[in-house]
Amino acid sequence: YGGGTAGRLKALDAFLLYVLLTGALQFGYCLGVGTFPFNSFLSGFISAVGSFILGVCLRIQINPQNKGEFQGISPERAFADFLFANTILHLVVINFVG
Amino acid sequence: GARLRLEAALSFLLLLAGAQALVPSHRLAAGDLARLRAVLERPFTDVRAAYYSIVGLNSLGVRVADEKAACKFIKSHVDSSSVESLFYAAKSIQVLSGCEVTISNETRELLLAAVSEDSSVTQIFHAVGALSGFGLPLASQEALSALTARLSKEESVLATIQALETASYLSQQADLSSIVEEIEDLVARLDDLGGVYLQFEEGIETTALFVAAAYKLSDHVGTEPAIKEDQVIQLMNAIFSKKNFETLSEAFSVARAAASLSQNRFHLPIIVVPDGAAAVSHHQPVLRLQVTNVMSQVLTQVSVKLDQAKSVSSKATVLQQLPFTLSGDFFELNFMNVKPASGYYDFSISVDGDKRFIANKVELKVKVSTEVGITNVDLSTVDKDQSIAPKTTRVAYPAKAKGSFTADSHQNFALSFQLIDVNSGAELIPHQTFVRLHNQKTGQEVVFVAEPDSKNVYKFELDTSERKTEFDSASGTYTLYLIIGDATLENPILWNVADVVITFPEEDAPSTVQSKNLFVPKPEIQHLFREPEKRPPTVVSNTFTALVLSPLLLLLILWIKIGANISNFNFAPSTIVFHMGHAAMLGLMYVYWTQLNMFQTLKYLAILGGITFLAGNRMLAQKAVKR
Repeated sequence: YGGGTAGRLKALDAFLLYVLLTGALQFGYCLGVGTFPFNSFLSGFISAVGSFILGVCLRIQINPQNKGEFQGISPERAFADFLFANTILHLVVINFVG
Repeated sequence: GARLRLEAALSFLLLLAGAQALVPSHRLAAGDLARLRAVLERPFTDVRAAYYSIVGLNSLGVRVADEKAACKFIKSHVDSSSVESLFYAAKSIQVLSGCEVTISNETRELLLAAVSEDSSVTQIFHAVGALSGFGLPLASQEALSALTARLSKEESVLATIQALETASYLSQQADLSSIVEEIEDLVARLDDLGGVYLQFEEGIETTALFVAAAYKLSDHVGTEPAIKEDQVIQLMNAIFSKKNFETLSEAFSVARAAASLSQNRFHLPIIVVPDGAAAVSHHQPVLRLQVTNVMSQVLTQVSVKLDQAKSVSSKATVLQQLPFTLSGDFFELNFMNVKPASGYYDFSISVDGDKRFIANKVELKVKVSTEVGITNVDLSTVDKDQSIAPKTTRVAYPAKAKGSFTADSHQNFALSFQLIDVNSGAELIPHQTFVRLHNQKTGQEVVFVAEPDSKNVYKFELDTSERKTEFDSASGTYTLYLIIGDATLENPILWNVADVVITFPEEDAPSTVQSKNLFVPKPEIQHLFREPEKRPPTVVSNTFTALVLSPLLLLLILWIKIGANISNFNFAPSTIVFHMGHAAMLGLMYVYWTQLNMFQTLKYLAILGGITFLAGNRMLAQKAVKR
């Protein structure tokens, strides 16, 4: 892994790990302490899950090894899509966190 | 052949018409007349009031109490310069006996001058009325032309009515047909209320004045007024529906209408009034009727005939074509002679004697009452297993059965009886046949309905297992009553027949029977407020907050290790704008969480997002080019 992956992708992977850990911790808290306030838990958890998914999408799209499958989409375009989708996700998340 | 069929068709149509004829619903009964008189007999305040009182009372056939005083009052209060005042005076003097007045030439000139095209219809009416009342000569043709000319300009209902009455003062030789035609036009302007009342929208007073004027003119001219029979009855209903007379003019108009409807040459509405309730029985076998006019004056010069009497329940015709006999003021018929069964009968009665009679075919519902007798009363206890023969005891009304009867899990209690008409012996099915059981100790009572079987024998059976809910399973001695009642029975029956000991199975018996008191305050409900959810202690929450932020630390460390460089950062304006915009958007998210609502956020987001997008687009494009 260390040698074969580009630096950019490794940075992204680090980000994905961070999001995963955050989500897992939130879930653990909920299991342990209780679901109050439920809306906040959901909002945070969905933020984690959503960000993870979008991050994974970005990674797939900018991986040079997958270039063949994404003919029309440049890495810049992928990044812009990532930012846009994140904005909408977090708009909803902030609305719901209460 | 053809002629016979035509007659049959015609008579059928007439029958139909008769069947749907309207019947008067209101008239001036004795009480109404008294009230009317009371209003009219108030002391005079001015000439107009005197006119209303004197002429109104005269219409009712009543003379003023003190005619001399009345005459003096009018003479002193009349205003010789007002045509209206002269009219009231003239009409009043005409009615009072022994009241003479001399009219000066000036007054006469004044009145004659008022009869012209330049005066209003009301003025012409008053002038002509005054001239005729004082017995002064009047040029009818001129008056008529002035009236006709004026009437074409004034369309109001009251003006037309006054024109009708004016015409009745003019000579018969003048051609009054154009005024007479106005009657028909006025009838068309009446409002039909529910098919029962007919009145002008101006009110009852105007309607009453119309009736008085129309008949006055018709009598004068000799032609039947263009008012149909049903319409006359509807007018009657409307006018005499008013029972309280607030103003003198109202009372006056009703009195005049009553007078005109009881004495005119063409239409006389009559009313058939039964004496008391229209009911006959063995004790009172004679049906008595009175025939009156609208003013409740009894008419005896008429012939009253029963066309047919039909039973309401069986629709069979019991009697046909029988005349009533006159006895004093009443017309009598002994209905019990035909021995009718008890119940209600529809009587079709017709009154004849004068061609002018209106509403002379009436329908009357007559009740025939009888007395009921209970026979063949058998009380028995029937064994449920059918192993023992039922024990039957016969009881005769009104005695009470000796001993008591038992109803428990082994045996049922049964009651059977028959109801007959004492006078005719026929079987009766009254409306109310109840069996009432009254618990002597607890005061409970349960009522059942006894039903007749096909042979008209009433049966009632008490099965303790079936009926325990009605009794609340309360065992004990119950008194049994039989209740018989009906509208056509003169002797309703409440008969204590026997005592019944009812025993319910033990396991269902409640210890005490609680009277269901519905109106006692119920136990208070304590409201449970929603308790807030349990929250974890603050320490725990804070710990977790710190814990959740730890991955962020890890991320930064990892990024440094990987060597994510920010050295490629170029300070192009679009890059700066993009990053600033993006940072602002993130800041906006925070502000949204703390303060804003969705709409405001979307507004700001649109602005910031637009800027960031454009800058970002530029930036990424440059990056792409560089690559």
